[in-house]
Amino acid sequence: MVATTHEPGLKHAHFRTAGLPAMLLLPQLLILLFFFFIPSIRALFQAFLLADPFGATVHFVWFDNFTALFASESYRNSVWVTIWFTLAQNVVTIVVALVLAFATDRVVRFQSAYKGVILLPYAIAPVIAGVMWAFLFNPAVGPIAFFIKSLGIAWDPNRNGSDAMLLVVLAASWKHICYDYIFLVAGLLAIPGSLMEAAAVDGAGPVRRFAQIALPLLGPTLFFLTTMNFVYGFFETFAIIDAVTRGGPAGATNILVYKVYQDGFINLDLGSSAAQSVLLMAFALLLTLLQFKYIERKVNYSI
Amino acid sequence: MKISSSTPSLVSGVLALIMSGTAAWAAPVEVQWWHAMNGVNGERVEELVKKFNESNDQYKVVAINKGNYDEVINSTIAAYRAKRPPHIVQIYERGFMTMLLSDAIVPVQDLMDKTGYKVDWSDFIKPVAGFYSYKGKLAAMPFNSSSPILFYNKEQFQKAGFDKPAETWGEFEKQLYAIKKSGAAECGTALATDYHWSLIENYSAVNDQPYATKANGYNGLDTEFVYNKTLVVPQVARLKKWLDDGVLQIAGQGFSPEQLFTSGKCATYFASTAAHSGIERNSKISWNATFLPWEEGHQPKNSTIGGAALWVIKGHKPEEEKAIAAFFDYLAKPETQLWWHKASGYVPLTNKAYEMAKAEGYYKESPTREIAIQQLNRGTPTENSLGFHFGNFTQAMFAQREEVEALFAGKKDAQQAMDDAVKRGNEILRQYERLNKGKY
Repeated sequence: MVATTHEPGLKHAHFRTAGLPAMLLLPQLLILLFFFFIPSIRALFQAFLLADPFGATVHFVWFDNFTALFASESYRNSVWVTIWFTLAQNVVTIVVALVLAFATDRVVRFQSAYKGVILLPYAIAPVIAGVMWAFLFNPAVGPIAFFIKSLGIAWDPNRNGSDAMLLVVLAASWKHICYDYIFLVAGLLAIPGSLMEAAAVDGAGPVRRFAQIALPLLGPTLFFLTTMNFVYGFFETFAIIDAVTRGGPAGATNILVYKVYQDGFINLDLGSSAAQSVLLMAFALLLTLLQFKYIERKVNYSI
Repeated sequence: MKISSSTPSLVSGVLALIMSGTAAWAAPVEVQWWHAMNGVNGERVEELVKKFNESNDQYKVVAINKGNYDEVINSTIAAYRAKRPPHIVQIYERGFMTMLLSDAIVPVQDLMDKTGYKVDWSDFIKPVAGFYSYKGKLAAMPFNSSSPILFYNKEQFQKAGFDKPAETWGEFEKQLYAIKKSGAAECGTALATDYHWSLIENYSAVNDQPYATKANGYNGLDTEFVYNKTLVVPQVARLKKWLDDGVLQIAGQGFSPEQLFTSGKCATYFASTAAHSGIERNSKISWNATFLPWEEGHQPKNSTIGGAALWVIKGHKPEEEKAIAAFFDYLAKPETQLWWHKASGYVPLTNKAYEMAKAEGYYKESPTREIAIQQLNRGTPTENSLGFHFGNFTQAMFAQREEVEALFAGKKDAQQAMDDAVKRGNEILRQYERLNKGKY
């Protein structure tokens, strides 16, 4: 991050001794140590092993687990599925959240009820949300599925991969819109009212005010949210996938993190699962770095 | 409990006294049993353990539900690696090779011999004892064994002009189409979540089709899947056709296929005999059950087992091993077997228990409860109907299911899908062979 050196504020804190900051960091570092560094290092070791799940027989196989993955059609499929899924989920979430956030100002009556309803999905456990979506859109019993079919549209997420993908994108976005929404509402509030008023006086309509004033000023928020949405799509949608499609049909919604779980905990192929999680971590790291390097430059932090 | 720091020796002294006191009073030796039985059968397990604990004051079994079969095997692995394993674990039949070559178990027959319990192993029914045996000895204690059977809606069959399902697949198919066409039912059959077991694996056994070389894995780790060259290909093509014609329905996520049958929407349902308890409780339809169909011109063979067995994890104290043996001895008793068979819907595991059920007229009042065991005992087993002993079988099964789903989605034809499933499955088998070379 490019820090402006003379600006007082949150970016720089001044401590006289090293003791206090170290102590403040300690809890977080311990959590990272036990829940991130140790498991990651173990995964790294495991990725080079072919091992019996009980640990009785262990062979060191160099890069065999990785080469097997690159040769595997289902792994390549999973990479593409993950890319499409996270991109689609990101776009849907941000666009809907933006519209809802911008509309918040225009809701005059019952504004808190409006906000409350939008925030509700955040309070629902992902598994419950997933089961609900799966049920509502189930072609055999789901009311929404009946409605879709009554419109003459073929709908069967149990057989058709793109239907299933659409369903998990919607479910995952629905669950995450509220998160983006909170940040965007806060971001919009931080835009000085005088700017908007001046634009209005100059004759800019709501659409133009949104596109030319609010949107650029929301840059830092949008950048942050895109990063967070990618992280969400990669790692936290596991429960929704598990409840809605189990990665099916035919691997159409088998995102990388779900495949890691399936190969590790259902199929008990620990070496391959570890290799996948190492690759996934590298992938996420690379993406975040790229975002910071190229996109963040274009973000304007000052108002 | 908070212990004051000023009197540690006193407290520990008292604790030691209490401990030694209870030991002198011979508190029962406790063993842990991790199982995967939920719902009705979960309650039955609790009852079973209670009955055993009340039958003696030396040993106590504590049954703990650890979720489904996958979760039980995962918890077992985690606990074993953390060196705090339970004594007994219930592992699905698909995990047989994983457990057998894990070096983490005590073969059950060795345990019984060591502890001096005499169990008449020869009385265990062949398809079950054969499946869980290795080199002539039982490796795991058979517990809940099942086999798939065909449940059907009596009224809907009658409405379409049939007494009962036909014996052969060709005739059965015609019936399902007639049932749908006549409007007797909206769909012919509901696709069970474990259809790979009933409609592919057991289909191969019943019709004497080789599923893999080396007697389906019984004779070596270098076994190879060959079901892409057998009747399995037209069988999955048939399922795809049924699906396209609305004769077969998938329940999908968020809904159970059993409900498609018990609600009267689908006329038939291929499921484990253990589905009895759920169907009996939930259905408002008048149902019956029969044997799995077979292909015309084939002499139907025995079906194979599903379900799970109890494995003993090694490294426990001698008195705990005795407790495990005492519990297994209790399980093997014909009275216990008979009770469990009736209470759970699983098959009786010993011939004595089966004879007792017959003698008391149980199958007169519940004839469908006998189908699975008759089907398991039918004819002389061939290499194709012994059962399936594959390493990493769960993984190979999921690969196969993915390919079947690709067929259902219209992305591949039946031959292509089965070729790919076999290819992926064989890679999985080779990995297992590489890992366990020389151990089997």
